[in-house]
Amino acid sequence: MINESRRKFLKTSALIGAGITGLSTKSVKAEPKYVLDENRMGVLIDTTVCIGCRKCEWACKTAHDLPTQPIESYDDRTVFEKMRRPDAKALTVVNEYPPKETDQFPINVKVQCMHCDKPACVSACIVGAFSKEENGSVIWDTDKCIGCRYCMVACPFQIPAFEFEKAWHPDIRKCDFCFDRTKEGKLPACVEICPMEVLTYGTRKSLIERAHQKISLYPDRYIKHIYGEFEVGGTSWLYLASKDFHELQFPKLGTNTAPGVSEAIQHGIFAYFVPPVALYALLGGVMWINKKKAESNKNKEVHHE
Amino acid sequence: MKKLIIIILFLAPILIQSQTKLNSTHANLNLTCSNCHSCTIPTKENPCLKPCPRESLIRIDQKPEEGPRVIVIDKLRDTDIYAPVKFSHLAHAEMADMTGGCRTCHHYNPPGNVIGCSDCHETTRKRADITKPDLKGAYHQQCMNCHRSWSGKTDCNDCHVVKEKADLKPVKVKDEKSKRIHPEVKAPEKISFNTKTDKGKFVTFYHNDHTGLFGLECSQCHSNESCAKCHSQIKKPAEIKKSFAEQHKKCSSCHEVKTGCNKCHSNKESGPFNHKISTGFDLAKFHSKLNCARCHTTPSKFTGLIKDCVTCHGTWSWDNFDHKKTGLVLNETHGELDCESCHKDKSYANPTCTDCHDDLTYPKNLPGKLIKR
Repeated sequence: MINESRRKFLKTSALIGAGITGLSTKSVKAEPKYVLDENRMGVLIDTTVCIGCRKCEWACKTAHDLPTQPIESYDDRTVFEKMRRPDAKALTVVNEYPPKETDQFPINVKVQCMHCDKPACVSACIVGAFSKEENGSVIWDTDKCIGCRYCMVACPFQIPAFEFEKAWHPDIRKCDFCFDRTKEGKLPACVEICPMEVLTYGTRKSLIERAHQKISLYPDRYIKHIYGEFEVGGTSWLYLASKDFHELQFPKLGTNTAPGVSEAIQHGIFAYFVPPVALYALLGGVMWINKKKAESNKNKEVHHE
Repeated sequence: MKKLIIIILFLAPILIQSQTKLNSTHANLNLTCSNCHSCTIPTKENPCLKPCPRESLIRIDQKPEEGPRVIVIDKLRDTDIYAPVKFSHLAHAEMADMTGGCRTCHHYNPPGNVIGCSDCHETTRKRADITKPDLKGAYHQQCMNCHRSWSGKTDCNDCHVVKEKADLKPVKVKDEKSKRIHPEVKAPEKISFNTKTDKGKFVTFYHNDHTGLFGLECSQCHSNESCAKCHSQIKKPAEIKKSFAEQHKKCSSCHEVKTGCNKCHSNKESGPFNHKISTGFDLAKFHSKLNCARCHTTPSKFTGLIKDCVTCHGTWSWDNFDHKKTGLVLNETHGELDCESCHKDKSYANPTCTDCHDDLTYPKNLPGKLIKR
């Protein structure tokens, strides 16, 4: 009776194990929820046009019910004295890079989630809370989130932030491409408010076309690089700039998708359970040797007596 | 074959019609089609227009007072948090007049009246055609370029008032057509620069030579200058130490500044440009009305032209030369001779008489009659 139940247990666990290995090689890949939609939306950010008025920061906070100072206070340019990063209280920030020559303008760069086509956060999320949506946005389900913060580690742009200061029910926060607003046919809040139309909203395809057109129309104004066209397999948000993106603190990334890299490591570690089995075998071996040593010592002690 | 003929017959009137229509609007302008169109035969249905802005295109320049005095920008009043802006078009036109003219802002001006921003730029930000910015973006992109350089500030309330606080009374435009807002800045005749170099301290810049004789446009030197040129609020120009390149920036687009310093730098004030003194070729006689580029055909290269007539005119003969133009009508006997019979050297200057005449010399004896040129 006892033996039979033991056999059953072994059978089911073997089945589960086989199932997991099967899943890990096939279905658990960082594919978006839908197949990437041809007409997914994006935003083209022309940093040569941005004047650093920071109205986008205000609009973002207002749209996401985050506490904010009155809009007039955003005229204060002393905030540019230090570099800022998006966090749980500000999902987008604008930084300023001072000019080299006296007669040039400073360069202002808005930072937010890039909404990757092959997002690392979606791949890293162990509970499947993150998803790449049909309209291009990368969003997450707060109810599913267990607060493991793997997405924060996985993101090549270090975007997801965590409400560390909250003791009760802290959430992951990041730019959600104004998912609720775009669902209603509205524009993302930052795109809508931008006075200079630094941010152009359109299908990713048309934005890339437009960006190439701008580069060919004004070869003196832009460097020949659309940041996000190929970086980490392409992003929905794209940038144009007058100088090398590395000087504007954009991470230098390859064209390989971020999940591709992390998954290769992750799946490599667990491939066919060989490495864990090997590890346990090694530990078992060490234990066995230790046990033998202890036994022989014991024998010696007995001998002495 | 029949089908082809039918198609041609069917298409011909359409093509002809489109051609004639085009002529009626583009008629008086000396244009190159490829300036605006990307295909060879643009039609009304498919004009294949190149993407905006088509800056290098056509210019319609008006005087500042010809345009509107004040424009109330209220096209976005329904969606904006700010009240309509009362934009002093005259003041801005006067300022633009000192640099690039109308096209400082009106970057696209097809034949006809000067067109405003809202004629091309859509008021809605969510739109299908993203090849040009929407109206709000277009306004700000034009305004901020100058306003930023002028004060270094980007504060909204420099131009805007929120709706609640705004004075919504309509703008009263008094009929003050003659009154300028910005005092007129007269172009100088010459400017003497007292430079810091020991050798060749003075640079005498003849402004009227550059605008008149050399035919430069204001914007070729005065682009991106804006108000800060005179009204700098940040730093006085003298306080900024400039590099050699920055110092010579304005001149270096035409002049070779690294060599030949003494062409501009002198120990005393120098005179205006004189083609005879500088090059030895006197323009005053027959070439005074010509544009530089008529002879100096390679762009921005004004040296290396040989003084001989043949360089530009080819060999003279009775077919291409009317001797009357020199002020001397030849008499019958001389009117049949080859040019080279009398003009031995390449300059075609003074004739040689001694080949035929022993006792006659020029200009004591003339081969014809002098007339007033």
